[in-house]
Amino acid sequence: MEEIKNKIYQRLTEAFPEITEHKLDFPYNRLDVKIPKNKVPAILFYLKDEMGFKHLVHITCVDWIEEEKFELIFIVWSPKEKVKVFVRTELDRNNPVMDNIDMIWRQANTYERELREMFGIQFEGLVAPKEFILEDWDDIPPMRRDFDTEAYAKKRFFERPGREDAKDVRQTIAERTGESLPDFAKKYSR
Amino acid sequence: MEREKVTTLYLGPQHPGITGNMMVRLKLKGDTIVGARTEVGYLHRGFEKLQEKRNWLQSFTILCRFCVPEPDPVEEAYALAVELLEGREVPERAKYIRVLVLELARMASYLLWFGGQSGSAGLYTMGQWSVGDRNYILDLFEDITGGRVYHMFIWPGGVRRDLPKGFKDKAMKVMDYFEKRLEEYDTLMFENSIFQKRAQGVGIIDKEKAVEWGVVGPVLRGCGIKSDIRIDDPYEIYGELYEKGVFEVPAFEGGDVWSRALVRRFEIRQSINIIRYVLDNIPDGEFYNKIPNPHKWKIAKGDAYSRVEATRGEVGFFVASDGSQYPRRTHFRGAAYVHAITLLENVLIGANVADVSFIMNSLGTCPPEIER
Repeated sequence: MEEIKNKIYQRLTEAFPEITEHKLDFPYNRLDVKIPKNKVPAILFYLKDEMGFKHLVHITCVDWIEEEKFELIFIVWSPKEKVKVFVRTELDRNNPVMDNIDMIWRQANTYERELREMFGIQFEGLVAPKEFILEDWDDIPPMRRDFDTEAYAKKRFFERPGREDAKDVRQTIAERTGESLPDFAKKYSR
Repeated sequence: MEREKVTTLYLGPQHPGITGNMMVRLKLKGDTIVGARTEVGYLHRGFEKLQEKRNWLQSFTILCRFCVPEPDPVEEAYALAVELLEGREVPERAKYIRVLVLELARMASYLLWFGGQSGSAGLYTMGQWSVGDRNYILDLFEDITGGRVYHMFIWPGGVRRDLPKGFKDKAMKVMDYFEKRLEEYDTLMFENSIFQKRAQGVGIIDKEKAVEWGVVGPVLRGCGIKSDIRIDDPYEIYGELYEKGVFEVPAFEGGDVWSRALVRRFEIRQSINIIRYVLDNIPDGEFYNKIPNPHKWKIAKGDAYSRVEATRGEVGFFVASDGSQYPRRTHFRGAAYVHAITLLENVLIGANVADVSFIMNSLGTCPPEIER
């Protein structure tokens, strides 16, 4: 396993001297490389067409809000070598722009639509309907770390009258309007 | 010449043929599909955002809702990802129990799938039989985990409980029953000329393109490519089971609904083999490697991705930690994420309206997995 990983890493560094960081010492079949964002489509093309990494496993994004950056991770798998390669890149959090890669794998289109909606990453040249999962969204992209779910829910939705506390709804309404509870409700009321 | 009229038909989000709340917008000429577009967004519950506010164990109540008919592979994927992230070892006995639970879940899910697949061809008897038989497996689950559908049984470090007393005999009886029963399924479903005519040559996926398109699991094996995470990227004890010849990975040429159905039919047989082997050879010992206090359990900065073979194909969890007791990011990869959108939109073109739910079932679509 170590030999295969070293061989793959050698080939990658020969083709892409821009690789800034790498990590090989995982106890399982995984290999990490980090590369500037403008080289990502080229390295993915190379991995797929020249080195047999045919299967796109995943595209994901992590929000490192303290360092003002998004980390974008592409995971590819080679059915022949049985190794997965993590291609990592960093985007500026305030202006996340990335090249579209759905000409390499068409299913990347779906992943990019989700990242565009959930993190606000603009993929240049992505052709897809604007909305994917969310509908009429009017706040910052929801998977960013600074999005507060509770505050948004309080701003957007309201409590049904009588539901503000844990008491029986009929009792709350009866107290508020000064009416007495009907007999059948008294039996179950706390 | 008269111009042909193109009609738009909205199939779903509530429709008996759709496998959940999802919509397919079809463009039709006559009753032939010339364009299809999947629209999702009816089920979104923001699970991944919720997980960021829960510690490494609290997520498990959410995880089983990712795909309701088959919750165990998702739990396994998350537990594996956390174990890879932390480098935690799992006792040998726990690995066997996990494989037992995963294979029972695979059988239960395939039996439910038989109902959906044959029901969309009008063969309702098959569905009643297989869903009825699935109850015997749910009974076994109730014995092991306490729950019938949602188990929350596999967790980082092992499993929650040991196997109950007398479980082996009970499980062996159920396996004997299924062995006899599978032959009756063959007569009812696979020898039925209605099912044969509906399934053969429908929803064909190109073998050359299948891997690049992101096709995984039984759908890929239905294209004649022998690919399974259990043997390609083995987890738990599947690697050694395969080497010992306990199970095989069936693959059929054709790439149509028929070959996918055959793959699933033969995989139930393999699951029975695995369950028999595990029950006979399960080692004694601990079933759980104790984790620290969950509220103070911090995992060092890093990330991991785990892969598990579910009945729909590859499912996996990407988990990133920032060194605190909560995950910085979790991202689920479901097979349906690819199958139900880019693949389905392309496979449907040229098919008949009546075949939409038939093809959709055969691809293993599970809408909650797409939106989470």
